Amino acid sequence: MNSVGKSWLLLTGLIVFYIIYLLFGALVFSSIERPVEEQLRRDMDALKQEFLNQSCVSAASLENFLVRVLTANKYGVSVLRNSSVTSNWDLASSMFFANTLVTTVGYGHTTPLSDTGKAFSIVYALIGVPFTMLVLTACVQRIMYPLVIAPVCLLQRSGLEPRPATVVHFVLLLVLVVLCFFLMPAAVFSVVEVSWSFLDGLYFSFISLCTIGLGDFVPGTQPGQKYRPLYQVAVMVYLFVGLMMMYLLLRTFHKMSDLHGLTSFLQLPRCEDSDVDEDREPIVDEDSRTANHVTEKTASRHLDPASQPSYNTINKG
Amino acid sequence: MAAPDLLDPKSATHNTKPRLSFSTKPITLTPREESEVVATVMKWKTVTAIFLLVVLYLVMGAAVFRSLEQPHESAQRLAILSQKLEFLSRHSCVNQSQLEELVKQVVSAIRSGVNPAGTLTNHSSLWDLSSAFFFAGTVITTIGFGNTSPHTEGGRIFCIVYALLGIPLFGFLLAGVGDQLGTIFGKGIAKVEKMFVHWDISQTKIRVISTLLFVLFGCLLFVALPAAIFKHIEGWSALESLYFVVITLTTIGFGDFVAGGSEIEYLDYYKPVVWFWILVGLAYFAAILSMIGDWLRVISKRTKEEVGEIRAHAAEWTANVSAEFKETRRRVSVEIYDKFQRAASIKRKLSSELGFSPAPELTLPRRTVSVNFNDERDKIERDAGLQGLTTPLTRNSGLYMNGLDPERGDISIIEHLK
Repeated sequence: MNSVGKSWLLLTGLIVFYIIYLLFGALVFSSIERPVEEQLRRDMDALKQEFLNQSCVSAASLENFLVRVLTANKYGVSVLRNSSVTSNWDLASSMFFANTLVTTVGYGHTTPLSDTGKAFSIVYALIGVPFTMLVLTACVQRIMYPLVIAPVCLLQRSGLEPRPATVVHFVLLLVLVVLCFFLMPAAVFSVVEVSWSFLDGLYFSFISLCTIGLGDFVPGTQPGQKYRPLYQVAVMVYLFVGLMMMYLLLRTFHKMSDLHGLTSFLQLPRCEDSDVDEDREPIVDEDSRTANHVTEKTASRHLDPASQPSYNTINKG
Repeated sequence: MAAPDLLDPKSATHNTKPRLSFSTKPITLTPREESEVVATVMKWKTVTAIFLLVVLYLVMGAAVFRSLEQPHESAQRLAILSQKLEFLSRHSCVNQSQLEELVKQVVSAIRSGVNPAGTLTNHSSLWDLSSAFFFAGTVITTIGFGNTSPHTEGGRIFCIVYALLGIPLFGFLLAGVGDQLGTIFGKGIAKVEKMFVHWDISQTKIRVISTLLFVLFGCLLFVALPAAIFKHIEGWSALESLYFVVITLTTIGFGDFVAGGSEIEYLDYYKPVVWFWILVGLAYFAAILSMIGDWLRVISKRTKEEVGEIRAHAAEWTANVSAEFKETRRRVSVEIYDKFQRAASIKRKLSSELGFSPAPELTLPRRTVSVNFNDERDKIERDAGLQGLTTPLTRNSGLYMNGLDPERGDISIIEHLK
């Protein structure tokens, strides 16, 4: 009973804290972005006035025209003269779109126009999202050994205690991932994409690898992009490998916090709760620790359903 | 479709609640010290196979999307080009470069979130508190609609930092909500099971039915009902509402449809209710997608097992049959040989007593038998049994004298003795 009460208390506390966090974010975003928006709106106003003054176009017909242009633009169809004649739905772009669908990134730079396309997207996503998570899990499980277990054992053998060894390893892994999957791609993007700065590239990498996918920056959509299909496939590969590394980081962090007792303190599902028979890889190779884990696990295990919402693994605590 | 692992009697007794979670356990094995080499080989094969499957899935999806969407896109393009030409022809004082310039500016303004179409005076800001709150929510849940996005450098940097802290926070929250949802569901299942225990239905059937009920009820509550509400309030079609619900709850979040993003007058509590629905719906969808993932994994494991089992069974059966056959042949041949030896010794004794020479008589029937036997040999190999030999051999009644019984099929082994 005590643990049930505690879990409800924790949940309420989490919700309250979450609301506060959202409010805080809203305030900051509002204060940063709003003045810029106001300025842009004033500029637009002036532009429209100027256009209307020097021409015979009436306001109504201009409105009409603009609305149609914007509707087309929403679907990625540009009306400008120098827009490339490449379609948004050739094979490479469609594959890119399918990839954003199943990895749940969902940029939205191109979206299905037809009703059939929308219906197909629903079915495709419902099957493809768990499928992708399955693949990611399998791949991560494979690379977990050389990237995590072996280095930690190595660190232990060179004299470190288990807990600091895991922390040191995690920090090293974090630095490596940030370097290879955020900073380097950001530099590459800022060179390949004409209008992106380094910060834009970094912002894009982060927003994509967290599967947020706002869609304000999408590589390969500039008109006149050379080798567009190859570029899009390369970006797809980068996204997949990057997602895998993020998941690896998350899993390592989860196992590490298991070891340090954080997850049982917060009554969260332990990383090893999900490993039923086949996957018993303690991050440190000590038999006494695994015995401890087993007893702790039976104590803290309280629920199976939805205790590991891993369809979006970045969300997983 | 039933959850395969629910039908496994072992897990049914082991777990008190139906397994709806997706265990992060993969299809592949873990490397253990002893069997590491074997497990490594299997893992690579499995992972490569799965990876190829995903690539295939993507290519298939791409082909279907292309065939569905490209015609629409071309039609849209043609329409807008004709619009432009019509506009230019109707308003002859506007030249093309001016128009292009205006359009470019308008498009970039749209990208920054400002919609120049419509009267700009009573336009609500995209960054007032409630909309910013909604945006922060889309960032943290990783849905990321994108209809609003930060455009200042400061805004972007803050977005990164904000997401870094907020996404794990939301992860904890989701785990907690999912937990509670699961507990409520589990209690309901226990009650239902208590009711049904009198009706004497098997436990696994109850679990299957209850899972289906959970899925249906959740679909009704978190998918169908909100879709109907969105259809009514936002004015979308039924398919578009369903599309929005699925795209949002799987956190894909394209942003072509956003609840609360149009120019309609919304009620005050509309956006917070939408946000709350997203939270609970995400937990529900997480459970559903985990379940689908579990099923895929178990199905693939089952298929692998079944295929392996079938192969093992076939090999076993073949080995058994051939071993049995060899054993029988060996045994019978030994018996025949013994009998023959005894018969020969008796005959020798008799002939020595009567003064006959024994040898030629013995060989003749044997040769005849073997000639007849050759036809039957294939039949024996097929049937792995020793019947069907009686008729052609009874002619050689001389065999009875030698103590060989054709009915018993002893004849089949005679050719071994040659």
